Amino acid sequence: MRPVGFSTTPNLVLRLPMWRSRLMLFMLFFVFMLLLLRAFWIQGPGNAFYEAKAVRGTQRELELPASRGKILDRNGNVIATSLEAKSVIAYNDTVPDDLSSEKIRQLANLLQMNESDLRKKLKEERKQVFLKRQVDPAVAQQIKQLEIPGIGLNNEYRRFYPEGEAMAHVVGFTNVEDRGQEGMELSHEKELAARPGQRRVVVDRLGRVVEDVAIEQEPQNGKDLQLSIDSKIQYLAYNAVKNAVEEHHAKAGGAVVLDTQTGEILALANYPSYNPNDRRNLTGEQLRNRVLTDTFEPGSTIKPFTISTALEKGAITPNTNMVIGASYLIGPKPITDTHPYGNLTVSQVIQKSSNIGTAKIAMNNLSPEEMWNMYSAVGFGQAPKIGFPGSVAGTLHPYQKWVPSDQARIAFGYGISASLFQVARAYTIFARDGELVPLTIQRSSEVKPGVRVISAKTAIEMRSMLETVTEPGGTAVKAQADGYRVGGKTGTAHKLVGKGYGNSYRAYFAGIAPISSPRIVVAVMVDEPTGGSHYGGDVAAPVFSTIVSETLRTLNVLPDANIKQMVSDDVKVPVENQATGLKAQQVVLKR
Amino acid sequence: MNRATFTLLALLLICALSLVAAQQRARKLFVAIEQVQNEERRLNQDWLRLEYEQRNLSKSSRIRDTARNQLHMSPISPERTLYIKESK
Repeated sequence: MRPVGFSTTPNLVLRLPMWRSRLMLFMLFFVFMLLLLRAFWIQGPGNAFYEAKAVRGTQRELELPASRGKILDRNGNVIATSLEAKSVIAYNDTVPDDLSSEKIRQLANLLQMNESDLRKKLKEERKQVFLKRQVDPAVAQQIKQLEIPGIGLNNEYRRFYPEGEAMAHVVGFTNVEDRGQEGMELSHEKELAARPGQRRVVVDRLGRVVEDVAIEQEPQNGKDLQLSIDSKIQYLAYNAVKNAVEEHHAKAGGAVVLDTQTGEILALANYPSYNPNDRRNLTGEQLRNRVLTDTFEPGSTIKPFTISTALEKGAITPNTNMVIGASYLIGPKPITDTHPYGNLTVSQVIQKSSNIGTAKIAMNNLSPEEMWNMYSAVGFGQAPKIGFPGSVAGTLHPYQKWVPSDQARIAFGYGISASLFQVARAYTIFARDGELVPLTIQRSSEVKPGVRVISAKTAIEMRSMLETVTEPGGTAVKAQADGYRVGGKTGTAHKLVGKGYGNSYRAYFAGIAPISSPRIVVAVMVDEPTGGSHYGGDVAAPVFSTIVSETLRTLNVLPDANIKQMVSDDVKVPVENQATGLKAQQVVLKR
Repeated sequence: MNRATFTLLALLLICALSLVAAQQRARKLFVAIEQVQNEERRLNQDWLRLEYEQRNLSKSSRIRDTARNQLHMSPISPERTLYIKESK
């Protein structure tokens, strides 16, 4: 008998069917295949999902801040700038419900809010609530120190206007989203606006930025904007208008100062005004830029244009004598003057501001078409294109529709309307020897070529006629400026109330200075003066006088008036003037 | 063969370590740059604020007020002004 080992006992031999091991092998293979496929999927087609997941854990998008452009005056002084401010946000899921009332009181104090209002805001359903926007940096720091969970600070910019009320109508203001709402802020929104950028960074486990991945959008700061306004002249114009409005208990006032050489607007003042730094009450009347958006019947200020047309035609000369009389009947109502005159020369018609004289000159010498062409050439009936929102065109009806009484009344400024700005612009033809200058609100230093409207001879004749207005016997002796020869024209217009003329007036003065070599055109308007006189010569002319003398002094213009002058060609002169014993200021004139 | 393997291994190790070191340095520099950029931003903001404050202090209304009320000065008038022409 063959010895049989225990392990080889035939009885114990397993006879497993072959398929079982095969199956096992196949299953192992199959599972490995699955794993392989999965690995292939993750590495290949399904990769993006996992990559995104990884990126989400380690990368962040950060905003790159950009600030709105500054607005500067002609000398580079800041008149609008953006400074960092914080907004206070409450993340209401994180703010604890049992926040101590002491903390709430402190927070409400810092935010200048009502305690109950603050509580209400903290109870709101929304995830995050702006408690207050544009908080002062110092206040923001104090809020941070309160360490209330769920109260966060966000970076923002806030716009500041150092000139306040004086410049308000020129620069305008922005809203809380940093978008321009009025004035230059609105009309130059595109250039001024900032575009924040975006960057992607890698952060570590603690959230610190460790690496740049990409700058997805470069931040773009807004461009700075330099205006032609001189903040000093602007301030003194504003101040002069403000004082006049208060003195005469008027409703409103406005003034504009133009540089006749460059066509720049040096000042554009309106009163009542507002403080653009305080957004709470930026509504209503005070926002109106009356100089550009209010139209009125220009009254006597239009007479120089009517008479220039006749002078240009050669129909009259400054010395032509005319019979005026007490009234002039044309149309339904006779035309009258404030004082009856017998005979006047053309020059005196301007000086005394005779309605009858002007109407007669127009009716006897001019056709409606000729008059219309002149008014239209100096810009009446067209909105000035200087990029101010809301500039109006006024009305100048087509001459075909004029009946004779229309023509006579339009000749002295009724039945036509214009803004103060248009009147000022029109007066540049007398200052620039007959050329109308294109105006700009942006800084420019070169002398601009103008468009010729009348000949230099007519312009110079008219200039000397305008000067007589401010001389004794004229309607605006009060327009005389310290040290400078000035010329201009008063205007007093009855305001239209409904369909007729009421009992309220507008007083204007538009003029040029210095007469010997005109440098500025100034137009002033006072709306509804009530205390005492309502005449342009009494109300608006003194404002003109103040603005002219102070502006010309600011611009270092040599006085041309007949005063005891101390003009020296020698630089080494004593500062003390021996004749008067007065200490003199040294002003070096650049010519 | 053994020696070559060792050399390569050593090189590999050196490379790996220097990579780590370089990475570390890059991060440090990056943090430094970040800090300096933040500082730049802060200084820029400071400058803007100071510029604003300067303007606020030097605006015409304040000068006029101070000159008139505190220093008791009066506006100049042409009669009291000596004009000097600049020689060309």
